[in-house]
Amino acid sequence: MNWTRSARAVLAFTLLVLLHYTVRPLLGWRTPVDFLVIAVLLSAVRVRPGAAALIGFLTGLVADSLTPSAFGAGALAMTAVGATASWLKAVFFADNVVLHGFFFFVGKWAFDIVYVTAERRMHGVELATQLLLWSPLSAALTAVAGVILLLMLRPVLEPQAV
Amino acid sequence: MARAVRSGTRVDTVLLVACCAMALLATVLPVNLREAIAGGLRRTVVAPLVSLQQQAERGRSAFLSREATTSRLDSVALRNMQLTRLEGENERLRALLGLGRQLEWGFVSAEALRVADIGEENTRTLTVGSRAGVEAKTPVVAPEGLVGMVRTVDPSSSIAILWTHTDFAASAMSADRSAYGIIYPHLSESGRGEDTPPERYLLELRGVAFRSALKPGTAIVTSGLGGVYPAGIPIGTVLGELRTSEGWARTYLVRPAVRPPDVSNVIVLLPKKTHDASLDRVWRSTISADSAARRIAAAGDSLARRAATDSVRAVEAAAARRAADSVARLGPRGDSVARPAPERAPVPSEPQPSGIRTPPRDTSRRAPPTRRPDDGTGARP
Repeated sequence: MNWTRSARAVLAFTLLVLLHYTVRPLLGWRTPVDFLVIAVLLSAVRVRPGAAALIGFLTGLVADSLTPSAFGAGALAMTAVGATASWLKAVFFADNVVLHGFFFFVGKWAFDIVYVTAERRMHGVELATQLLLWSPLSAALTAVAGVILLLMLRPVLEPQAV
Repeated sequence: MARAVRSGTRVDTVLLVACCAMALLATVLPVNLREAIAGGLRRTVVAPLVSLQQQAERGRSAFLSREATTSRLDSVALRNMQLTRLEGENERLRALLGLGRQLEWGFVSAEALRVADIGEENTRTLTVGSRAGVEAKTPVVAPEGLVGMVRTVDPSSSIAILWTHTDFAASAMSADRSAYGIIYPHLSESGRGEDTPPERYLLELRGVAFRSALKPGTAIVTSGLGGVYPAGIPIGTVLGELRTSEGWARTYLVRPAVRPPDVSNVIVLLPKKTHDASLDRVWRSTISADSAARRIAAAGDSLARRAATDSVRAVEAAAARRAADSVARLGPRGDSVARPAPERAPVPSEPQPSGIRTPPRDTSRRAPPTRRPDDGTGARP
């Protein structure tokens, strides 16, 4: 990865983080779009698993600073999702929108599973409802938003060779 | 194959394990330590993001509350409109209360209801009738002045004509009693010529002697002639002289003291009161009808009432002191001892509620009405 591509990736990552803290609270949906997961996934497929784990950890730590009661859960979930995405990136190199959507969907759902489990706040029916209803819905919305953003950011993330 | 080899390097594994370990460690940290780390992040690295999030949440709250805010604004505007109307009504009622206080007895207050029928805009239905002592041809007044006259009476209601009615007429004079005439409604609905707009809600003072020239602004009051309207009720002020074909008398255009749209609460003077010359004192200083109305309104104000009560008590105490001093100074002289003690000045009582008829007082205790020589004769002083 050369510097230009790195700078473009950092720019896209920053943009997604900003979207997470502006668009998401503005929409205020019950099943929010997780732009941080999209940012981590898009970054993870471009770096080595160790770096992806580090990016996920730092991103999760930033998110956890706003939810001190679940401090560390987001970092753990993001680390796992980032590292896993980086290891499995070969699968998603195929330029297929559906595959990318599935990639975001699974990534967000996995993040929620790890996060809710590590958080240890929900139990029983509430936990099942969260993991089997709200998390898939949120993952679906995140997948849709991720695909749209990927199509919009494609010129930035994968510039045509001159 | 090459990618699988690269991703399985030891560095990646170490980093992954280290990150997972730190994350797990963060989940089991004591609460105060978690708060310290999270607070440090919020104050430094995450501060711009926190600010962005707060602004976004405020924007969402503002967006969601816009309808509620609009509704609140509408409600406030509506209440403000009602408040203005209520203030006006309150002021009118206060003035009416002040007028009732000045009249003291022999009247009933009533609501003047507007008749919605076409052609009945010059009449009002009053909410008092013969049960309250109202009779036909009794005057109807407002704090500003003369409103009209009761025409028909039912047991619980009556119908009054306003001064705008074609049947209205009243004997009038200038406030300084220098000119007398008959007041009529000015009925120039169509205007005097094509270039002159119609003049509505004005009065005419007809039959004024040619030698009696009235200046614009002269106050016109009832003269007491004719026995319907007692003397001294303000009618209006002179606007100017009207050109008429009559060569022996003048006709003046008069701006009325009472505007018909303002007639909502009135006072009906009962027949006994109509013959009471003390009524002249109510609007005595009617050189300016406006100032009289203000004075009457002030009398209805509770603060003014309290101040008036205090001043009356002070005058009473001073008079008592003076009487005691004079008695002590003069000694036991027969004439001074026999002199009656200064009559107690009447202390204003609480105002009568609107709509309740004031019971007539014993008029025999009151000073007899001092009718002027011109009353009933038309002679000028």
